[in-house]
This record gives sequence, structure tokens and C-alpha cells, in this order.
Amino acid sequence: MKVSLTVNGEEVSASCEPRRTLADFLRHDLGYTGVHVGCEHGACGSCTVSVDGATARSCCMLAVQAEGCTVTTIEGLASSGELDPLQESFREHHGLQCGFCTPGMLATAHELLRDNPDPTDSEIRAAISGNLCRCTGYQFIVDAIKGAIRPPHDGQQRDGVVEPGAAASSRRK
Amino acid sequence: MDVGGLIGARVSRVEDVRLLTGRARFVDDVREPGMLEAAILRSPVPHARIVSVDVSKAAALPGVSAVVTGAEVKAAVRGPQPVTWQVIPDMFHPRTYALAVDKVTYPGQGIAAVAAKNRAVAEDALELIDVRYEELPAVSTLEQALAEDAPRLFDEWPSNVLGRTAVRTGDAAAAFAEADVVLSAEFRFPRQMGTPLETRGVVATWDPFTDRLDVWLTTQAPNIAQAAFAEVLGLPVGRIRVRTPDLGGGFGNKFDFYGDEVVACVLSRRTGKPVKLIEDRAESFVATVHSREQKVDIEVAARADGTITGMRGTVYGVLGGALGTAGLSPCWVTAASVTGPYDIAALDMNLVGVATNRTPYGSFRGYGLPKANFVHEHMVELLAKRLGMPAHDIRRRNFIKQFPHQSPVFVFDSGRYEECLDLCLAAVRDAGWERIRQDARARGAAVGIGYSFQNEVTGLGPSRIQTFAGSSHSGFDEEVVRIDSTGHVTVYTGLSAMGQGIHTALAQVAAHTLGVPLDHVTVLSGDTDSSPYSGYGTGASRGAPLGGAAVRTAATRLKAKVLRIAGHILEAAPEDLVITDGVIAVRGVPGRTVTMADIGDAAYRRLGGRLPEDETPTLEEREVYDPVNVATAFGCTAVLAEVDRETGVVTLLGYLIAHDCGTVINPMIVDGQLHGGAAQAIGGALSEELVYDADGRMRTRTFADYLLPSAAEVPPVAISHMATPADHVPGGFKGMGESGVIGGGAAIVNAIVDALPEYDLEITALPITPPRLLALMRKGTGR
Ligand code: FES
Ligand code: FES
Repeated sequence: MKVSLTVNGEEVSASCEPRRTLADFLRHDLGYTGVHVGCEHGACGSCTVSVDGATARSCCMLAVQAEGCTVTTIEGLASSGELDPLQESFREHHGLQCGFCTPGMLATAHELLRDNPDPTDSEIRAAISGNLCRCTGYQFIVDAIKGAIRPPHDGQQRDGVVEPGAAASSRRK
Repeated sequence: MDVGGLIGARVSRVEDVRLLTGRARFVDDVREPGMLEAAILRSPVPHARIVSVDVSKAAALPGVSAVVTGAEVKAAVRGPQPVTWQVIPDMFHPRTYALAVDKVTYPGQGIAAVAAKNRAVAEDALELIDVRYEELPAVSTLEQALAEDAPRLFDEWPSNVLGRTAVRTGDAAAAFAEADVVLSAEFRFPRQMGTPLETRGVVATWDPFTDRLDVWLTTQAPNIAQAAFAEVLGLPVGRIRVRTPDLGGGFGNKFDFYGDEVVACVLSRRTGKPVKLIEDRAESFVATVHSREQKVDIEVAARADGTITGMRGTVYGVLGGALGTAGLSPCWVTAASVTGPYDIAALDMNLVGVATNRTPYGSFRGYGLPKANFVHEHMVELLAKRLGMPAHDIRRRNFIKQFPHQSPVFVFDSGRYEECLDLCLAAVRDAGWERIRQDARARGAAVGIGYSFQNEVTGLGPSRIQTFAGSSHSGFDEEVVRIDSTGHVTVYTGLSAMGQGIHTALAQVAAHTLGVPLDHVTVLSGDTDSSPYSGYGTGASRGAPLGGAAVRTAATRLKAKVLRIAGHILEAAPEDLVITDGVIAVRGVPGRTVTMADIGDAAYRRLGGRLPEDETPTLEEREVYDPVNVATAFGCTAVLAEVDRETGVVTLLGYLIAHDCGTVINPMIVDGQLHGGAAQAIGGALSEELVYDADGRMRTRTFADYLLPSAAEVPPVAISHMATPADHVPGGFKGMGESGVIGGGAAIVNAIVDALPEYDLEITALPITPPRLLALMRKGTGR
């Protein structure tokens, strides 16, 4: 069947089977290979894109559900050869290693900063806790997201501690 | 080393812009004309005879191009899957093929494969394949495998013990006979894996007319894969091209060579079309190698003053139902490294390789070292407790102080362990952890501080050591540095870029050495048709010490040629010239300069009169570097942890690493590697476990079962650096890609023990999940 939607400001359409996920549709039928698939069951967050202004796991959505929607992928963040401030900050703070989680991290971080322009470290950690990264240990991702909201700090190491209780985490099991 | 250059500079990575803008190309982004997609049918049962495989319905499904069974794959190849590491020469190495032939020996083993017009159709076809199994009793655990009447995995071998050896030095029997104190412990390490966020994949094109094989492969070791294809498929190496796309992480899991990639080749040959085979996440938990699982029994002999005089015991490697390319070698590394950073005169470690009906054992960041570290750091704490001495006093007393040091197997080139421990303690002091712990305890909260000290062999390796240790692959690396006719630089490497920033690191070394701006250097890798030969690929923390050293030497020679040509043009002696930012000037004579572009032009294009008569055109140097020794990095980890006594939940509050990897090329990259390794250590200590049920079937199928730490579980991590260069390595670099994962487990557990002094815990099994911690606490109080 035919699915039409707007991706990164461009109206596009292609036909696909009804069982096609949005992730596969974006990647394989439309060529937005910047969308990554790390688990196909909603657990890793690497396939996260923005659908009508809210983040969505494109592996858990069917392409047909996106009919008429406005989708932004990682390919749509930079314009005319310039990285956006968040991309720039990820680069400056080494917020990526292999880059496989990065599309989802950027989508999630964009939404966070839109909804909460001055998040604390633990708010950032909570916001990205649904996006797994196997490479970075998250520290530099947190720094990168912070760096996108304030002038970059002076490169001093942080003291590597949080207050007891402050980091009380909700484990997923 | 000259200071202030690009070696040691915290510069942004050259890899990043492509990745940040979605312009990278990972294996699943590769699309060849006419490409088919494949899927593999995997056994749900752990142990069975295959009575029959009926593929007729699958083959008849519209959209299906080919179906192959294990027997067909065996007939189509020349040999079994290679075992690269054979550390025990007389060990039994079962011959296994890419798919199971008549027997299944682990759940997840491939039975048949389909190539179809797309993956969905291929998966539909798998459901139409009818396999009849005659189930055999599963041998799923070490105890089951070693039981006297255990069912045997291999008809042609009389036991599930595939091989034994020992690592010995000194007189352990005497050390134990004369000891004031003897301590013992038994450790259990779980099955874990690297789970790179991108699963494994391959796109194979085996042209039936030209017999050329062109493979896109998620591999950390393209030349090893190329040799393995040659061996298994019976092709000359020169007809095999392995291209490595961007890799979404490797962590050792993409070092090993898998049957799946052979299956893709066979399907391509059969159909005459390119075949893509991408592992999905669920199958990755059975189809990608597992690691870590071991039982280690250990005894330590010591004098009353805390001097450790001997260690002995046994490492049981809980292998799978087939041998992966790594064979038993990760377990051998555990046995060989169990003395760690300590000068212990006598060692007698047995190593036993035991087959079970589980996924093959293979490479994972840290290899055998995290287990060895956990063992020696546990024993140090135990000895301290027994003798009533601070654990750091035991560490200091036993640290290796003279270098080079002959360890039971390796020669450790250099180290300053006490200083590194002091650096870590200073960081803990500066972070005010002692106060935090006191205040927390005053409130009744359970907060503790734990440490571990590690050393690690990096930069594998001298080829002679690898051959001696049973590797069928060497340890050298070859890199090429070229300056083109515009004066820009290209570095060619056979190492794989998998997120670790190797392109940036090698570019920094080349730019620093040649005196050109960083953005004038391009690093190319990932194509065996054009990349130089990497003897061992990207593993064993060898990218910086091998690749970096080779680039350093090649660029140094190339710079000399540049200066000779420049001297000729400028009519000056080469010794009087300096290169800065790509401009070659006569020292002390302002204005007498040529640019690197001029030299490029003189070496490639307008040669006449400008290229000295005795110079060959072109600007290119190639260095084959086989180190004379390994390079020993070291570090100290400190962890601040809080335990919830009611729930058993452990929250990490702080994480500090003091580390020394010799000359640092890019401190930002080094920190990132340590952070990432630390996160893997945290998962390994607290939550990650591959679980088989009582029937030997795999239970772990999703990231909801296999719990990677998220940003909410990983605390802020801070790094302190010191640098003790490896004098024998050009540039002084040591490896560190695996460092972060090695010491974390012991430090976390020591922090938990410290947080709960009233329970007098002894934690010797990982991961220490909340239910397990609660159970130990109950045991501790007799509740
Ligand atoms: S691929 Fe969608 S959440 Fe993992
Ligand atoms: S950078 Fe590799 S998974 Fe996040």
C-alpha cells in the first residue's frame, strides 16, 4: 500500500507492505538510513525519530500509522552544511563513539531541551535513560546536552560524584 | 616527544560529522543491485540429533530464491570453521561447520538458511522448514558437563573436557608449605556478551563466473576474516575482498569469525546474487559469541607481613557446543594474568576447557582480564581482613616495583603502580568521598568505597608470542602514509574503525609527525583490496600501540624525504629546516619557505629540477611494525556505592579511574573509552546475564532480559591520567581500549562489601543483582 508523509520538510511517498515498520520504511523504502535499528522491540531507542513534534520509536510504529505525519530524522537536523547546536555540542564533548545510538539520542535531547530548556544533570540522565548507548558510558552525552544550553564549560573534569540518594535510580527490573 | 603538538591534543574527532548527520554507512545500509536477503533457522533445543530437514515447502514459497541445509553447506565448503587460537595443542577441537550437520550442540545453532527477495519473506520461509529433532539430554552447566555419567557432546571424544593445561612459575608447593596464611575462594562468572548496539551483518557477493568473493562485513579483523574465508571456502586470498563499513560498536564480538558469514557466501554462490544477512537482536543472544563464563578456584599463600608468596588453583572455561575462533584463549589469559600487578614468585594455575550445550565462547572487551582482576583484588581484600591490615598496604607491599618484570607469561615493560594508586586516592580525597560515607553512615545509610588495581597487557603483540601461544595469526601491523601532489596526507590502515576514534588518533600521529594541520590528513581503512595488512586486526588494545607506532615511524621517514626535497629547492641543509602547519622554512631565515603542496608538486608532477636526482618520485612510506614486546597499561578504579538494605538495589554514586596508558594521543578519546568500559563493567557487575533455563534453552531474548546500564545507572565518571611511555614502542603509546572494563567489577563489589560492614559479605559471583545481594545479606546475618 502507499504511504505519504513529510520527512525533513519534504513530501515523500512510497508503497510498502502493511506490516512494514516505520523504521524499515524510512530506511529501506525512503533511504533515510540515518535511522538506526538496534533491537526492533522498543527497548534501545536508537530508532527514535520525531513524529508530529513528539519522539517516537519508529521500530514500534507501522509505516501506515505515519500516513500524513511530519517526521524529522537525523538527516534533517543540520542545514546547508552547518551542524545544529546540539550536533555541534556532541562533537565538541565527544558525545558519540560508534554513532549508532546517536540519531535516537539527538532526537530525545532535542525534545528534552524544547520542553525543559535548562535541565539538571539528573533530568538529562532521566530523559535519555530510554536510549541505550553501549559505547560512551553516557558521561559525555550528558556533557554534550548541557553544553548545548550553556556556553561550554572550561573543560575542567567534574569531581565524579553525586549526592547519595540523588541518583536513586529506577532500575528496569 | 615534542610537546604542544597534536599528539596529546584534545581535538574533536574526524569521524563525527558523518555520524552526526546520518551520513555514515553501516552494513544494513549497504544495498547491492539485485540483492537478496537471508535468514537462518536456528535450533530451539540445546542438544539433539537431526533426524530430517525438509525444506521443500520453504523452497516453493514465492519470493524465495534458495534454501540450504547444514549438509549442503558442508558439501559446498572446503573445511570446517577455523579456531584461530589453539592454546593447548593436544586439545580436542571439534570440527564444526557453518550450519549444524547431523547434530545440534547448542540452542541457536543454525540448521538451514533461506535467501529471498526480502527479510520478511525469508523469515516466512523459515517457518515452513520442517526439522525433526531427536532430543538428547542437555549438558547445560559446568557441573552437568563434569558429572561422572555426563552425556557427551561429541561422539568422537570421550569426555566433555576438551583439554587441560597449566600456567606455572616458581615452586608453588613450597610456597604453600611455608605459608603463614593460606586463603581460598571459589568464583563464578556468568555468561555475558558485548552487545554492540548494531548487530552483526554481512553482504556477500560470490560471483559464480569469476569466482571472486566480495564481502561487506562487520568485522574488527578484516584480514583474519579474509584468511578464514579463504580457508573455509577454498579460495585464494587475493580473490577475496572484505570491506568493513562503519561499525556500530564491536567490543570483541565482531572480532570472531562466524558461520553466518559463510552461509551468506554459499547462498550468494548458489543464487548468483548478492546476499545480505543481518542478525536480529533476538538471535544475537544465541548467535553471537558469549564470554566471561568461568569457575575459578583459587588459593593464596602469604606471610604474616602480607607478602603474597604463591597462588594456585584452577580456571574452568565453560565453553559452548562448538569452538569459536577464540577457542579457549580468553580463559588462558585469565590463568596467565591472575597474579595481576603483584610480584608473586610462585604460581600453579590449571586451566580446563569444558564443553557445554551453550553458545560458543568468544571475544569480549577485556578478554580474560576482568575475571583475573576480580580474583586477585578479592584475595587482596581477603588477606587484608585476615591479617587486620589495610588492603592498600597489601597492594603496596606486593606491587611489582622493578621493570621490566617477568610475569608468569608476559614481560611487563614499565609501570609506576604506587604512584597510580596514590593518584586515585588523591582523586577520592578531592571528591570528598570519605565525608560522604561518614555522613551517610551517620544517617544510617549504607554507603561504601571500593577499589581495584589493574594492570593489562596491551598491544598484542610480538608475533613470536602469538605463535608460541597457539595463534594462527600474527601480531604485526602495517600502515602506509602518503603525501599527495597537493601536499595533503592520506594514512592507510588495516585496522577497523568501530567507534573508538582510530581515524582521529592516527591522523593526529601523522599530522604531529609531519608538521601539517590535522585537517590535511585523511585516514582510510576498511577495504582489503587497498588497505595494508593488519596481522591481528582491531583487538587486544592494539590500535594505538601498533597502528600509532607504525604511522609514527612511516611518517618520520616520509618527513625526512620531504626535508631532503625541500632542502634541494631551498638550497639549504635538511637539518636546518622546520615544518610548521605544512610550511617548510629555513630556521632563522624568514621568508625562505616552500609549502607541502610545493613538495607534492615536485614529487609527482613538475619534477624537473626540483626533485633531487637521487630521489624516486612519489611521497609514500610503508611501515610493517612487529613490536618486540607487549605494552603494559595500568590503572586504579574507585567506586562510591550506596546499597538499599531493604531492596538490595545498588546505586553507584561516583566512579573514579586513575589510569596510565603511556603517551596519550587524544585525552578526550581515552576518557571516552574508559567511561564506556566502566559502563560495561557496571552492567557486568550488577545486571547483565545470559540465562539458560533448566532444560538448557536460552531465556534471554531482548534488552528487557539482558539489562544494559542506562544513563540512570551509570554515575558520573572522572579520570586522572599519568603517563609512563612504553619505551620500546615508537611514540611510547600503550593500548587502553579494554582498560575501563577490567577493574570495575572488583571495585563495585568491594564498595558494596564496604557499605555493609555489619554483614561481613563475601561476594564471589556476578552479577550481584538485588535478589542475590539480599540472599547474601540474609546469610550474613543468619536471618
Ligand atoms: S530499534 Fe526501536 S527501540 Fe530499539
Ligand atoms: S556511541 Fe555507540 S552506542 Fe552510543
